[in-house]
Amino acid sequence: MSGLHLLFPEVALSVMALGVMLADLFIAARHGRVLYHLGWIASIVALLLVGVTISDPARYQGVGTLWSVDPMSQFFKMLVLLTTVLCLLLGLEYEDLPPAHAGAFNALLLLSTAGLMFLVSAVDLLEAFVALELVSLSSFILVGFERSRSKSNEGAIKYFLFGAFSSAIMAFGISLFYGVAGTTRLIGLSRSLASNPVFLLAVLLILLGFAFKASIAPMHFWVPDAYEGAPTPVTAYLSIAPKIAAMAVLLRVFTILLPASALRLTGLLALLAALTMTIGNFTAFFQDNVKRLLAYSSIAQAGYIMIGIVAGNTLGLEGVMLYSFIYVAMNIGAFAVAQLVASQAPEGAGDRYGLSSFDGLAQRSFGLALAMAFFLLSLSGIPPLAGFIGKFYIFSAAVQSGHYWLAACAVVNSVVSVYYYMKIAYHMFFMPAPDQVPLRLGPYLCGGLAVAIAGVVIFGVYPEPLVASVQASAQYLP
Amino acid sequence: MLEHVYLIALIPLAASLVILFGFKENPRSRAPYLGIAAMLWCFLQSCAVFHRVAASALPLSYEANMEWFRLPVQIAGKAFALPLQLGVLIDGPAALMLCVVTLVSLMVQIYSLGYMHGDPRLRRYYAFLSFFTASMLGLVVSSDLLVTFMCWELVGVSSYLLIGFWFEKPGPAYASKKAFITTKLGDCGLYVALLLLFTKTGTFQISALRESVAHGYLAGAAATAVALGMLLGCIGKSAQWPLFIWLPDAMEGPTPVSALIHAATMVAAGIYLVARTYFIYLASPVALETAAWIGLITAFLAATMAIVAYDIKRVLAFSTISQLGFMMCALGAGGYAAGLFHLTTHAFFKSLLFLGAGSVIHAVHTNDMRRMGGLSKKMPITFVTMVLATLAIAGVPPFAGYFSKELILKAVYQHSPAMFFLLAAAALLTAFYMTRLIMLTFLGAPREEELHQHAHESPASMTGPMMLLASLAVVSGMALAHAGFIERLLPLSAAAPAEELAAREFPEWLGAGVSVLGALSIVLGFLLYRGPAFETAKALKRRFSGLFELLENRYGFDAFFLRLVEAADALSRFCFWFDSQVVDRVFVDGWGLLTLIWAEAAQLVDSRLIDRTVDGFGLLSLDLGGGLRALVRDGQVQEYLMYVAIVVSLFAALLLMR
Repeated sequence: MSGLHLLFPEVALSVMALGVMLADLFIAARHGRVLYHLGWIASIVALLLVGVTISDPARYQGVGTLWSVDPMSQFFKMLVLLTTVLCLLLGLEYEDLPPAHAGAFNALLLLSTAGLMFLVSAVDLLEAFVALELVSLSSFILVGFERSRSKSNEGAIKYFLFGAFSSAIMAFGISLFYGVAGTTRLIGLSRSLASNPVFLLAVLLILLGFAFKASIAPMHFWVPDAYEGAPTPVTAYLSIAPKIAAMAVLLRVFTILLPASALRLTGLLALLAALTMTIGNFTAFFQDNVKRLLAYSSIAQAGYIMIGIVAGNTLGLEGVMLYSFIYVAMNIGAFAVAQLVASQAPEGAGDRYGLSSFDGLAQRSFGLALAMAFFLLSLSGIPPLAGFIGKFYIFSAAVQSGHYWLAACAVVNSVVSVYYYMKIAYHMFFMPAPDQVPLRLGPYLCGGLAVAIAGVVIFGVYPEPLVASVQASAQYLP
Repeated sequence: MLEHVYLIALIPLAASLVILFGFKENPRSRAPYLGIAAMLWCFLQSCAVFHRVAASALPLSYEANMEWFRLPVQIAGKAFALPLQLGVLIDGPAALMLCVVTLVSLMVQIYSLGYMHGDPRLRRYYAFLSFFTASMLGLVVSSDLLVTFMCWELVGVSSYLLIGFWFEKPGPAYASKKAFITTKLGDCGLYVALLLLFTKTGTFQISALRESVAHGYLAGAAATAVALGMLLGCIGKSAQWPLFIWLPDAMEGPTPVSALIHAATMVAAGIYLVARTYFIYLASPVALETAAWIGLITAFLAATMAIVAYDIKRVLAFSTISQLGFMMCALGAGGYAAGLFHLTTHAFFKSLLFLGAGSVIHAVHTNDMRRMGGLSKKMPITFVTMVLATLAIAGVPPFAGYFSKELILKAVYQHSPAMFFLLAAAALLTAFYMTRLIMLTFLGAPREEELHQHAHESPASMTGPMMLLASLAVVSGMALAHAGFIERLLPLSAAAPAEELAAREFPEWLGAGVSVLGALSIVLGFLLYRGPAFETAKALKRRFSGLFELLENRYGFDAFFLRLVEAADALSRFCFWFDSQVVDRVFVDGWGLLTLIWAEAAQLVDSRLIDRTVDGFGLLSLDLGGGLRALVRDGQVQEYLMYVAIVVSLFAALLLMR
């Protein structure tokens, strides 16, 4: 019994992705927007299917040969699907995508999502590797989707090269792992392996392979270039979905299956976390391009999330899940506003994603500026917004597990991050506006923004329901 | 009917709220009719309740409670949650009081239709009247002393609002303040007594308290302290010596309000509370004796003061004080039924007297009796009803006052003959000053032609209630005393001092003698104040001018309390001086100075040390970021990969070497 039936949401999503690709053949290019609608509807359907698996755990949850379907994995799957829906809403308002290939765009995005769903359930290195490759290959193409733009091509190439390299590292690690352990399955490994140096080397290489997706230092170099080059909806997607899925895998591997403390890898993980957030924050200082700034910010955020994995206790586990949820809302909101502002930046003003595009946004569209300010404040972790709750949870986990220096480092980093987040706010509220024309806000983007702002504000002021649902989802097999 | 007795208190409350918030202020407002309708309902329901209570062979006491909230208390180190009840307790006195209060209030409200006609704040007036009555009714029916106390205070508040109804004039504003503060002085005693009571027995429930007293949990010094504290509250509320000073000034309010205060609501509350908690007094002979003496002193002093007053309402006010003294004395002397009986009959004829006085004032626009005279022809209905009320209050048989006063004198005689004679003297004075009032106001020749010319009989809305009350003033005493009904209705619950009752027989001739003397004092009043200028009385006044002045100054009690207030004022001024000059200067300002110095120092440290550190941290961050950025040149994939390779090797080496 392989337990393949446990994966029916993923299978359904893959089939629907192929269906979208086929539909492209029958739909004229000028009706390409229909395919975006098909895409997000397919994601919603998958979301509902995941909901079905949650509703009847006895029937739809369990451990298969290569995968484990449990409340934790379903929680992350729902987050990934939610991100996909919101990104496709952003895509509907993004005018630079070539309409001719809407089917391919949506199919790739959905396939990538399916890969992420496989990934968060994986309990076998081979499945994880294949799922990761599915995600990577889809996203290489998505990053380079604006073929007419050189930046897009550059980002895609760099991303591809770096991805190939890290895949090689990971494959090398898996082969070593198989050589030592005699299996690629992560369940039921012998305890004596923990003292085997080759095994540790294998684990390190595999860790770095996952770190590539989660943009953890030192595997973060591709991030700014790829994020800057990719179409903004894709940037938003890449900055969230693969990152939290990779975090879910790291969480599963290093707190449940191969506890970092048993391998004495906690120090290394803590070092990686500290390095990641420090590099992310301190390099973000000098960015004048909002997409690059948010790219470095997302590196730093990955560092914060990683703390929950370092802590390795229940609070840390819940913290990672909680922070991932909040991160979806605030990051997508920030990218949505950035996309809108850049799309209506004055012609011939140089870099459309430059900070100067935000000049005087508060005088042009006060509501939008306020929403952006909320997202930025939430990202920097200022109460009473949701980001504060997430950070509070994660940092408490670090303190509870005795990682005082890591918590201190994270707090210092949070303080530093306020500087560059507020740089955007400064441009929005205190710089003179070039004109007084309010921004046009499309219905889909407006919907996405509404979801994001609701998440950031409501769960910041009243986090109890979110905390309760996270605590209910923090159960895992085996 | 008994199950819904709580409605009697709640309906006027609702009516007052509806009037206050639901109507617009307008001299032709329809609000009065709502108030009157609510009161009519209450009166009918009260009558039904009274019928139920009176008809039963043994006067039943009906009690229904619901839990209000739980009070966390600690007794002997253990924590309990004591439930406090909200409920009604209906027995004979309560049923009687319900009828009296609702009837008088109804009459007053109808009467006010004429008296307050065209007043710009009619809505507010009726809202307050309803609220006043609701508070009093709540006090009457409540089964819990805490709720009683709350209603007690509400009665005080509403009396404050109504006495000061014409607040734009200085007189009413001053009078309302005086009334409120004076009664508050008494309330302190009541409050302390309630606290003591709760500490001793752990309950405010009247029936439970009765049990406690019966079992002897409250006796001796504690019972005396509680009873005396409560007595202090009643002295304030019922205007007894020495706290009676507020009542004459309370005449500044609208006359119907005075009728209500004097007959049904405010001052009756004190007497009623003593009757309601009589079982506590029975446990403390000292408190009973004190009540009796205070009542006696009040009755006598107030009667003497009434002789010299020229303001028609003040005469009635002193009369009320005196009559309340009678009741208090009766209660103190063990005449439980007598006191409550007199409270009932007094309510009828005193409200009638006030309404009559109001009618006169309405006609001639003055309170001064020296400017009236000969009004009997102009105002026949007012005259006749007033004379009937006077006969009732003077205790002429077979009018209402005769029966109740007779009962009181009997009870007091059985208690102590000495007190009896003093009280009888007060009764004779009553007859005298009431005759004087009638003579000066209605008989003789008109002393001011112009006022007399414009005088006229009041409208039917005013004379109607007066006539109804007059009939009650005539028959109520007879009806209630008939075949010992009143004793049956108001049984002395606890073990009465039976041996004392048996000790002294009240001689019949003594009662007859008092009646005869009363008739004589009426004749004396008639003779003294005959003629337009009442020369005889003036001559008397000249001869005994010292005595008259003493009486007119109310024995100096007002001056005494004024002195007291001045002393308190001086003390508070001194305290203010001490606070502003010594405490503020030395402590507050000095502390402020210290804070200032400290703040300066802190500012120095902040700007020199902390700010620079912060700036340094920022610069450090920028340098660090710059260094990190310089390490990696943007855009070179091969360099990226090289760094990755280096780091991976480094990590691997670290891992393998450990």
